[in-house]
Amino acid sequence: MSGEPERSDDAESGSGESAPRQRFVLEETGFDEVPKKYRKYYRKWKGPQDPLGPNEVLCPVCKVVIRSTRELRVGDRVYCMACFTRFSVERASDGGLEARIEY
Amino acid sequence: MADPGTDVHAFAPDRFIEEVHSFEFWFQAVEGYLSETRYGRRPETPDVRLDDAERDRLVTVLCNYCVGETAALEGASGLVAIAPNRLTKIFLSTQVVDEGRHLEVLLHRLGDLGVASPEAEIEKRASRSLLAFKKRLLDLVAGKDWEAAIFAQNVILEALEFTVFQAHAETADPVTRDVLLGIVKDERRHIGFGENELGRRLKTSPTTRVRLGAIQRELDPLVLAACDETLAQLGTPRSERPEVGRSYLAAVERLGFA
Amino acid sequence: MADFLSAYSIQYWLESCPQGYLDGTEYGHAPGEKEPDPFVSDPMLRERAIQSTVQLVVGERCALAASSGLINAAPDEASKRYLATQTLDEARHVEIFTQRLYDLGVPKSDLESVIREHANPNLVKFAEVLLEKVDRKDFVAGVVGQNIVLEGMAFTVFEMMHAMNQKVNKKFAHTLSGTIADERRHVGFGENRIGSLIQQHPEKKPEIERMQRDMSYFMLATFADAFRKAPSEEERARIRAELGERGDVEWQGKSLASVDPSEIEALLADTVLKEFKLRLGRVGIEYQSPVRP
Repeated sequence: MSGEPERSDDAESGSGESAPRQRFVLEETGFDEVPKKYRKYYRKWKGPQDPLGPNEVLCPVCKVVIRSTRELRVGDRVYCMACFTRFSVERASDGGLEARIEY
Repeated sequence: MADPGTDVHAFAPDRFIEEVHSFEFWFQAVEGYLSETRYGRRPETPDVRLDDAERDRLVTVLCNYCVGETAALEGASGLVAIAPNRLTKIFLSTQVVDEGRHLEVLLHRLGDLGVASPEAEIEKRASRSLLAFKKRLLDLVAGKDWEAAIFAQNVILEALEFTVFQAHAETADPVTRDVLLGIVKDERRHIGFGENELGRRLKTSPTTRVRLGAIQRELDPLVLAACDETLAQLGTPRSERPEVGRSYLAAVERLGFA
Repeated sequence: MADFLSAYSIQYWLESCPQGYLDGTEYGHAPGEKEPDPFVSDPMLRERAIQSTVQLVVGERCALAASSGLINAAPDEASKRYLATQTLDEARHVEIFTQRLYDLGVPKSDLESVIREHANPNLVKFAEVLLEKVDRKDFVAGVVGQNIVLEGMAFTVFEMMHAMNQKVNKKFAHTLSGTIADERRHVGFGENRIGSLIQQHPEKKPEIERMQRDMSYFMLATFADAFRKAPSEEERARIRAELGERGDVEWQGKSLASVDPSEIEALLADTVLKEFKLRLGRVGIEYQSPVRP
């Protein structure tokens, strides 16, 4: 669901983490609420049992899964185009990643 | 490196806002989920016969949705005039047509259910709490109070509709489900716009927070009562109703109004 | 009333507009179409294109404010829903004409100052007369002002501009043809909906006729200003030579390249006023001749 991982030589890290980021090839998954060229960046969320990939984070405003072509890390900026919201990726209390709104 | 030309997440914030608040964006977004539908219904969706009691309850619920959508249509159109800039005016114009469409598909569904005069039926079955909410919202718009009106319209009303319609869609007959899920897809844009527009303002203005907090306390009982009445009509067990109310309160809470 | 309004439903609008003639377009024209060279490289042509596009933006901003404002004044649900589609049409027009200013090289940061600099004061006054009615929630006067007077003017102006651009600027001609298609619905609604309302409210006629006369005056003053600023005969000859056959266009039976700007002004004004007279007559309003500015 998170997209096809591929080998990466992308060693950039906004958060000081040193390991190279995994890259992902995204494909459309049937999410049809944004213009076609942006659809691969989002997918429907199936509820709490739906695991998120390392390149994914849940939009807390409209409950859509936001996807990136690269593994997400703390400090990254992502956008939800379904509800027009800008987020920064933060560490959640359960150790996973969460999207925090930036107004 | 991400490609800033095509990678959404590489957009600068200004470019992102310019992109999503445009007619072009709206136009291509709704094409994805409306192009195959007529009055919100997909061609392959089957009709399911409802018994008299179910039909009557559904008519009451849809009549109240129409009250909410009429409030949203009148509210959004009034907001175009007081919007602070061009991009916001254009976004609100897309919201106006979304709200008009919602009203139209709901009225059409009432027609499908055999309601001969939807406007008379709406008047008969409208919830008092919802009518009181509508009046207050339109007063805020008429008073040209941008922040308060956006709060009442795009945060409170839209969040209420978003949660109630999603909950209803789970148990609705197939045609009503199609109609509601199409509306929910539009509501995502509306609630996101409201939350972001106010979030930016609240960050820098403590007085706005105090003022909007007072409005929220005034409107909350109306919203929650309307929500409760609708869920009762839908047969949602009392024990599950607070859950739906909670998801509305979560949206308000993200803005700092606990 | 309900039957005629069903043709103005949002479902109909979705099928005919976003899924119809706008399908596959970007900012109203085919993807990849650009402003042709002389309009970007020739300073005089570029300046003229910016000036005329600014008037379109000003007119469309007024139409956006009016159509959205009229929703709350509309006496029935179906009219409210129709006006919702018109509101979005007008917002689209604001967007595509604003985009044209960017395509002509106006920097985004200078947009408002360029509009302020070029907006014709008489067009602003034209808008104010209409918006005063909308502010007072006067639905009948507002729809006559918006959907018959303003849209009637826009319809003719767009058709003339479309003819002028068809050979020299396909991109802008395509943009205009979508707006003309929208205007057809707008003028149609004005005539169809207002006819019955005027019958119900004959007492409103004198005030509406005054509004029409004032708006017509400011419209003519706008045309007069625009054509007064036309380039000199020498400049026009140079442009004619540069555009060659592409610049030779006909509108209302006249070759626009070979006539004096004052003749085009008279032709445009007469065409619009004749249309007003016909449309107003059909809805039961007596056309009032404005003083010629």
